[in-house]
Amino acid sequence: MNRIGNRDNNRRANAERRSTMFLFTLPTMILYVVFFLVTMAIGLYYSFTDWNGLSKEYSIIGLKNYTSVLTDYRFGKALLFNIKYTAAIVIGITVVALVCALALNNVKRFSTFFRSVYFIPAVISMLTVGLIWNELFLRALPLVGQALGIKALSSSILANMKLAFWGILIVNLWQGCAQPMVLFLAGLQSIPSDLYEAATMDGASRWARFRNVTLPYLLPTLNIVVITQTKAGLTIFDYIKVMTNGGPAQSTEAVGLLIYRHAVAEGKFSRSIAESMVLFVIVAAVAALSLKITNKSQVGE
Amino acid sequence: MGKSKGSVMMKAVCYIFLLAGLLVILYPLFLTVITAFKTPAESAENFFALPSGLNFENFINVFQKGNAGLSFLNSFKVTVTSVALILITIPMCGYAIARSMDRSKYYRNIYYVLLIGIFVPFQVIMVPLVMYLGRMNLCSIPGLVIMHVTLASSQGVFLIVNYVKAVPRDLEEASYIDGCTTFSGYVKVVLPLIKPILATIMVLNVLWVWNDFQMPLLLLNRSPEMFTLPLFQYNFTGQYTNDYNMAFASFLVSMIPVLVIYAFAQKHIISGLTQGAVKS
Repeated sequence: MNRIGNRDNNRRANAERRSTMFLFTLPTMILYVVFFLVTMAIGLYYSFTDWNGLSKEYSIIGLKNYTSVLTDYRFGKALLFNIKYTAAIVIGITVVALVCALALNNVKRFSTFFRSVYFIPAVISMLTVGLIWNELFLRALPLVGQALGIKALSSSILANMKLAFWGILIVNLWQGCAQPMVLFLAGLQSIPSDLYEAATMDGASRWARFRNVTLPYLLPTLNIVVITQTKAGLTIFDYIKVMTNGGPAQSTEAVGLLIYRHAVAEGKFSRSIAESMVLFVIVAAVAALSLKITNKSQVGE
Repeated sequence: MGKSKGSVMMKAVCYIFLLAGLLVILYPLFLTVITAFKTPAESAENFFALPSGLNFENFINVFQKGNAGLSFLNSFKVTVTSVALILITIPMCGYAIARSMDRSKYYRNIYYVLLIGIFVPFQVIMVPLVMYLGRMNLCSIPGLVIMHVTLASSQGVFLIVNYVKAVPRDLEEASYIDGCTTFSGYVKVVLPLIKPILATIMVLNVLWVWNDFQMPLLLLNRSPEMFTLPLFQYNFTGQYTNDYNMAFASFLVSMIPVLVIYAFAQKHIISGLTQGAVKS
């Protein structure tokens, strides 16, 4: 072709390419700037004020919201709930999903069928799942409790201060294991089968094979599951809003719900934003930390 | 010999475990279905028993007393427009970034700025958003669509950029030599090449938008004529706390569309959802 001869044409084509590429980024970037970044900036600004969300006047109070968030008993309690919950859900989902994946990987017949059914909860909304279990805890479980003579189950466990935490956790496990299970299954299927055979020939026990062959292959997946579930646990909202609304007696008031309540119901607009910024810092720190650990373990390999 | 006996045992244990899991998953859904078809009297008598017949009254009530039909339509509109806009805008942006970030700082910078969105919890923008959109008169269905498209961009662009980077440029360049403009080359050559990742993005976002509760709760909870299905269910169950058979009918109504789609496009949905998790 006469590409070199047509330098002028080439230049025009390049200019056309560059301007089109730039235009391609505009719709997304305009939306992102106007509706995401600006919203965040507005939030950050108001977090330094004492605005209640309604009044015409407000004043700038600097870091006062932040200091009072960090010394607030209710926020501390909510954060503690999130930390406990996140630990429980990360461990719970990892263990249950991994066991299901190992079992699925071990069978041939019906394994597609099992996988399809096990994945169903992942496509239903958290809200619907929460509402269904709400009713089951209220109507069905007490009947079982009465029949078995277990007193703790005679009323909804969501209304019980000690058990509500576990109620939410059960529902979250019921729904949340599906996706990690499929991820683990894909990880398991990527392990070359001759590795197992070699390990078996060497007389490695089942546990030794799991530790030395399976686990290293699952580490990347494990890492993804831990990060996504940690973020989900720290920002949990839907289940709590629907099942306990923070109760009984604020025992399940997670940070996400506290922010919502402060802003929507309790007129602490600027305070609630400061709370959300603290939550952001925690989520970002956890994410950065886990990325660092991953990088290190990958270098170590 | 001992070894093979052990592995047969292991298989049996696996099957028993998997069957138990099947029960755990399906029994609550089964209870949902039968309760939705029962009258309150039947449920009061025995919660676990099968209904005496197919009684559609609960469903009729859901559509007449509550306005499930309208909410269904709203959810449908919101999902279709949001996902259509997502599939138009985000691949363009991701493609431009992937192809230009080597030569231009602008694209590198917007890429990193977009990635921040992955780490920001929704709660951070939740509170100022209501006020901000309220001032622009966007606490409405269009506002909800705009927010879905906006909040889908971080993950979407990330998925596209990674995918496009692995696609060789040869075909695009050939199309330019054939006289295609950048835009027509994108539509005719690039889009067909990146179909798998577009499918992933579609699956992720259809499910997210259809099932989203937090954002409609914030933006639309004032007027019932704007309710989406999750919001409808939430308010409906709150309103008829004692008629829980109706509540179960409303759960079923909102689950059926996704379950039907799941039945037909299972493979795509499972792989889409898991791919999205791997990369975000």
